[in-house]
Amino acid sequence: MAGQSDPSLSIFSAPEVEFLAEDEMIEIVPNIRMDALNLLCGDFGPFLPQIACKVPLWLAVALKKRGKCSIRTPDWMSVEKLTQVLEAERESPREFQPLPFHYVEISRLLLDHAHDDIPEVYMVRSLIEDIRNVRFHKVESGLETISGRTHAVKLKNLSAMEVNIVRPFMVRVLQAFYKHDSPEMVQQVDTSANKRPQVVDRGPRPAFGKIWYIATAHRTP
Amino acid sequence: MYARRAAQLLQELSTCDEGQLPPYNSDKFDQVIRECEEHSKQFQSLIREKNEKNLDIEAKNEDHYGSFIHHLSLIRNKRCLMAYVYKRAEVIQSYRWKVGRVLPKEIHDKLNFSEQEYFKNHCAVIDSYTKDLDLDLTVDVIPPKDPYIRVRVLSEIGEVSLGDHSVSLSKDSLHSLRRTDAEPVISQGLMEEFME
Amino acid sequence: MESWEEEGSVSGSGLGAGTDVELVRQAWRNEKAAPEILPFEEALVRRLREQIQLQEERAEELKSEGMEDVVVSLHHMDSDRALFLLKSYLRLRLHKIEKHLFFYSSHTHLFARLSPEEQLFCNSCVDIMTQHLKQSVLNKLPQHYQSVTRQSTSSEDDDMVDSPQLDTFVFCKTKTDVGAFQLDDTGEEIVDLVVDDLYVLRYKSIRGLVESGQINLI
Repeated sequence: MAGQSDPSLSIFSAPEVEFLAEDEMIEIVPNIRMDALNLLCGDFGPFLPQIACKVPLWLAVALKKRGKCSIRTPDWMSVEKLTQVLEAERESPREFQPLPFHYVEISRLLLDHAHDDIPEVYMVRSLIEDIRNVRFHKVESGLETISGRTHAVKLKNLSAMEVNIVRPFMVRVLQAFYKHDSPEMVQQVDTSANKRPQVVDRGPRPAFGKIWYIATAHRTP
Repeated sequence: MYARRAAQLLQELSTCDEGQLPPYNSDKFDQVIRECEEHSKQFQSLIREKNEKNLDIEAKNEDHYGSFIHHLSLIRNKRCLMAYVYKRAEVIQSYRWKVGRVLPKEIHDKLNFSEQEYFKNHCAVIDSYTKDLDLDLTVDVIPPKDPYIRVRVLSEIGEVSLGDHSVSLSKDSLHSLRRTDAEPVISQGLMEEFME
Repeated sequence: MESWEEEGSVSGSGLGAGTDVELVRQAWRNEKAAPEILPFEEALVRRLREQIQLQEERAEELKSEGMEDVVVSLHHMDSDRALFLLKSYLRLRLHKIEKHLFFYSSHTHLFARLSPEEQLFCNSCVDIMTQHLKQSVLNKLPQHYQSVTRQSTSSEDDDMVDSPQLDTFVFCKTKTDVGAFQLDDTGEEIVDLVVDDLYVLRYKSIRGLVESGQINLI
C-alpha cells in the first residue's frame, strides 16, 4: 500500500539480537592468571585465579570454552527466582514480570556453553522455557482496550526477543489505527479470549490508557 | 483498458516470494504501453473536439470529463508500470548483497536487458563507494562468532598436528579447536561440535 | 518491583559508557528504528576505524611476541565485533538511502545528513535508476507523462516520490527522566517519560529528543 512503512529494515535478525545480548555483563571466576585486557569495548581484569570479576558475556563464553574460567550463574537464573517469576507470570495475564532485557539470549548462551556451572540446570532450562511460552502467549493473544486515538504505549518489562517479535505488528497496527482513527475500528478487532467489554477511551488524555501488548495478527473468524 | 492489465502485472509480482522475481513480463508490459498510447490518442481527440466547439478553455463539458478519464487512466497505468519496474529493481539491488557480483543463470534469465544493465551499474556504484571508503561492506554481514569451538571426538583419530602444536584426538575426548581446523573433520563425521 | 537492570546503564549493556563501540552500537539501533536517515556520525566513525586498526595491529604484535593464543584471539574477537557494528551501521544507511532515493536527493537538509561518500552514492544511484526507468518505461510513454518524479506535466509537485513515514511508531527508552513531554502540536497529548521504561511512540513526536541524544531507539 502506498506510504505503508516497511518494517523489514527495522527488524534485527536472531543472530543480531544474540550479538547485542553478548555485551551484557556477567560474573566469571577465572582459574588462570591473565593480564588486564584493554579492549575497544572496555577494560577488563586483571584476572587472578579464584577471584570473581565481571566481563561481557561473549568474553565469558570464550574463556569458558577454552577452559579458563567458570561462569557465575546470575541471581535471576536460580531455580528459586525463576519459579517465582513463572508463578507471577501465570497469575497476572496482563502484566509481564521484570526480567533482564536479554534474558532469552543470556540463558541460551549459558545453557549451551556453561551447563556445568548452573545449579539444577535441567530445572532451570525447563522453567525458562515455560516462562518464554507464557510470555509469548500473552504477547500473542491480548488485544486489550485500545483507543482509536492511542498515541503512545508503555510496554512494561518486555524483553528484547519479545520486542523483536512484536515490532512488525505494533508498527503496522498502530499505524492503521492512527490512520483510521475511529472507534468502529476498535470494535472490529477482537479476541475471543478477551471477554471484557470493549472500552473506547474518549476521556481526557493521559495518553496511556492502559498497558497493552501485541495486536493480534489473527482476526477472530 | 482502464488499468486492469497493469494491475495484473503488479499482482504477478506480489504473489512471488519475498526477495524473488518472476520472469519479466514483456508481453503484458507492452500491452499496457499500447493502452497508454490509445488513451493518449483518445485524450487528444476529445480535446480537439472540445476546441472545435469554440468554448472557453476552462469549460467543463463532456469532452473535458471524457479526456480527464483518459488522463487518469494513463496516470494509473504509468504508476503501475513504474511500480513494477521499481519494485523489481529493489529486489535486483538486494542481489548484490545476498548473492554477489555474479548472478546465477536462473536469476539472470528472469531479468530483461535493462535490468541486467541496471544490476551491473548498481554493482559498480557499490564498488565505487567501497573504494571511496576503503571498507568492504559486502563482507562481515553476519555477526562474528568465536573462532574457537568445542568439539567431541566421535571416532578414534589419534595424534593430529595443528599449526604449532599437536592434539591427541582420542574417542570421546573434548577439545577446543579453531573452527577452521575442526570443520573438515566434523564434516567427515569423525567429530561433532559439543554444546551441552 | 525490583529491577533486573545492571546499574548505571539503560540497556544493561556492559559496554563502557561512552566507548566508541557503545556509541556506534546505539547509532546503529537509532538508525534501524528511525524511518528517516539520521545525521552521519562522522567523527565517531573516523575514531572507531582508527581504533579498530590499532587494535588489529596490537593483536599482531602480541602474537609475534609469543603472547598466548587466548589473549590474541580475544583481541581479534573484540575488533571483529567492533568492525561488525561499524559495517552494520554504514550498510544500513546505504539501504535507507536506496529506499527513498529521489526524496533524499531532492531535499537539501536531508541530503546534508549524508557523508560525502554517501552523497556520491546517492547521486549515482539516482542516475542509474533514472536511466533504467527511462529506458524501461518513461521513454515509451506519451509526451507529458515522461517525468520520473511527477505523474505528468500537470502535477504541481513530485507526486511520484515516496517520502519516509515519520508517523511510524518506534520503540524507545529515555536516557534520563524527561518528565512531562508533549507528543503533538495541540498540547492534548502529554506523556510522562520515565527513564528505562520502554515506550512505543510516533517517531515524529520524539524526533527532537533523538537528535539531542536524550532518547535511545530500540
